[in-house]
Amino acid sequence: MLTGNSPLEQLVPNLPTIASWEVDPVVLEGVEMLQAQFEVAARNIERFLPPALHPTIPPLGQWSCWDVPDSPWGPFRLAQFRLSCRSGARPRAFLLGSMIDNEDAQKNLSSKWGLTATHADIEFLRNYDAAEFQVAAADQLAIDVKLRNPESLAISDLQLFASMHGANTPSGLRLVQFDPTYEVHRTERYLPTIDHFNANAWHREGIEPVYAVTAWGAHSTIHLPNIRFVCRPDIDAFRGTESVQDA
Amino acid sequence: MKFGIFYELSVPRPFANGIESKVYHDSLQQIRLADEVGFDTVWAVEHHFLEEYSHCSAPELFLTAAAMSTQRIRVGHGAVVCVPEMNHPIRVAERAAVLDILSNGRLELGTARSSTWTELGGFQADPDTTKKTWDEFVRTIPKMWTEERFSHQGVCFSMPERAVLPKPVQQPHPPMWVTVTSPGTELDAADRGLGALGVATAGFAEQERRLKEYRRRIQLCDPVGSVVNDQVATLNFLYCDEDIEEAARLGNALIGHFGQANSHLLFTREAYPTRAYGLLANISPGGGRRRTPAETNPGQNVNLPEGMAIGDPDRIVEVIREWESLGVDQVNFMLNALECIPQEKVLNSLRLFGEHVIPKFSTDS
Repeated sequence: MLTGNSPLEQLVPNLPTIASWEVDPVVLEGVEMLQAQFEVAARNIERFLPPALHPTIPPLGQWSCWDVPDSPWGPFRLAQFRLSCRSGARPRAFLLGSMIDNEDAQKNLSSKWGLTATHADIEFLRNYDAAEFQVAAADQLAIDVKLRNPESLAISDLQLFASMHGANTPSGLRLVQFDPTYEVHRTERYLPTIDHFNANAWHREGIEPVYAVTAWGAHSTIHLPNIRFVCRPDIDAFRGTESVQDA
Repeated sequence: MKFGIFYELSVPRPFANGIESKVYHDSLQQIRLADEVGFDTVWAVEHHFLEEYSHCSAPELFLTAAAMSTQRIRVGHGAVVCVPEMNHPIRVAERAAVLDILSNGRLELGTARSSTWTELGGFQADPDTTKKTWDEFVRTIPKMWTEERFSHQGVCFSMPERAVLPKPVQQPHPPMWVTVTSPGTELDAADRGLGALGVATAGFAEQERRLKEYRRRIQLCDPVGSVVNDQVATLNFLYCDEDIEEAARLGNALIGHFGQANSHLLFTREAYPTRAYGLLANISPGGGRRRTPAETNPGQNVNLPEGMAIGDPDRIVEVIREWESLGVDQVNFMLNALECIPQEKVLNSLRLFGEHVIPKFSTDS
């Protein structure tokens, strides 16, 4: 069985801190979401995951962008880079990098949900025939994604999974299960291309998208919930998963 | 009630020191024993690229070896992937006919469409179309077997008139099945007059619901072949041991290893949103409720999953009686996963099953 082999502290050098599990739920209305999915080179993929997680076969890179028109912290755009994985037998994606264009949202997402993100300029465009997003940080283009040939899907065709990210929490250093509730109002599938990907800008040298799988877009209401489960990063999820209520 | 053994040919890492060869040859030894002790069918899957979970990419070769070293056990493709990027339908018909000849008419042909992106993506197949291509395969293969010369103008393939050779031994042709994973596929099987080869383990209640509808629909079927196969098979795990605590320990390890290897595959729905795949995973091992120790075997501290053939012979007879009461015609068993059970114990489990369980379900009894 392939198992992640990097300590969480090494994978996420600037771990955010969640001071309390108690947060006021936040509802984000009218969010446009785009996500491109590419197989990534599989060699030594275990080094991008902590020991609690297992890579999928093949490993799938997920590059997503949210365009949030309004929130308690104002409008923001959030770009994330995740790697598909398993926590025990459950499908998950591990957050490898995140960028955001709103400082207030950046602070709140970090302190309440442990979603750390670096500041970036994010361009987001969705038209009837195409969509795209570009992310640039510290004067470097981090990613440039183009999506073409939209095909409408039934809402039930889209299945969204919880992601995992590292944080210092009231329970200690943990993998945090982030599982928003999505009310999807419209969704479509695209053919994706990644015109530019700078792994260094995401601090993930050695990982590259190699084979386009698909992409999807959605118009959603997103409920940011209280964190319910965390997982010890150093042991398998069957033994290391903890309910926050029990903490 | 018929009994089968079912092979994924799972191989634990590291893939070195002849481990793949050991898995193949140990499995052939198990099949020879299963033939001797009274099992009815050996099934082998077709999977590609599924590291650890299944190294069974050429089942027709494996089953040929099985057929050549046994006398009576039937050999089942469980199943041929009916996706043209993986198998041309003419080649499926040809290879199956050869296997039917070499086995002296012991072939069962299962059909499937693959459920993982790992496989479909590897062959650059379009997940949106696999249901349609499967349908075209199952409608044409029986004609290739039974018509002297065959021609076809279709969507996934076309061919001018040719004699597809050889023809199978069984008349009118070998029984055909569909692997059933997603709920609803059993209805596709029923409508076409095909057997339902369950490859997803499920609890009694779910299986009962599916069976009832299958039985109703197949009465009204428009068969794709020259004969209706109205059998329903279900998948199970087998570990039989006179020591029920040892049975529980190794049997639960079997389910756990299988489930973990399975869950690390990249399922189509996870990678590629499509209405063609309604279910995320293809198997939910041990999905049923776990009985309390008191329910399972009073006085003993063991925990056995509902409906699984794990335990001592008496407990396994009891479990199979429940499957029989639902109307299942055949129970197929996985015997090992990732080599978590030593070969001698697998063989002993088969012997015990043959000696103490099969006689309870023989036609005479």
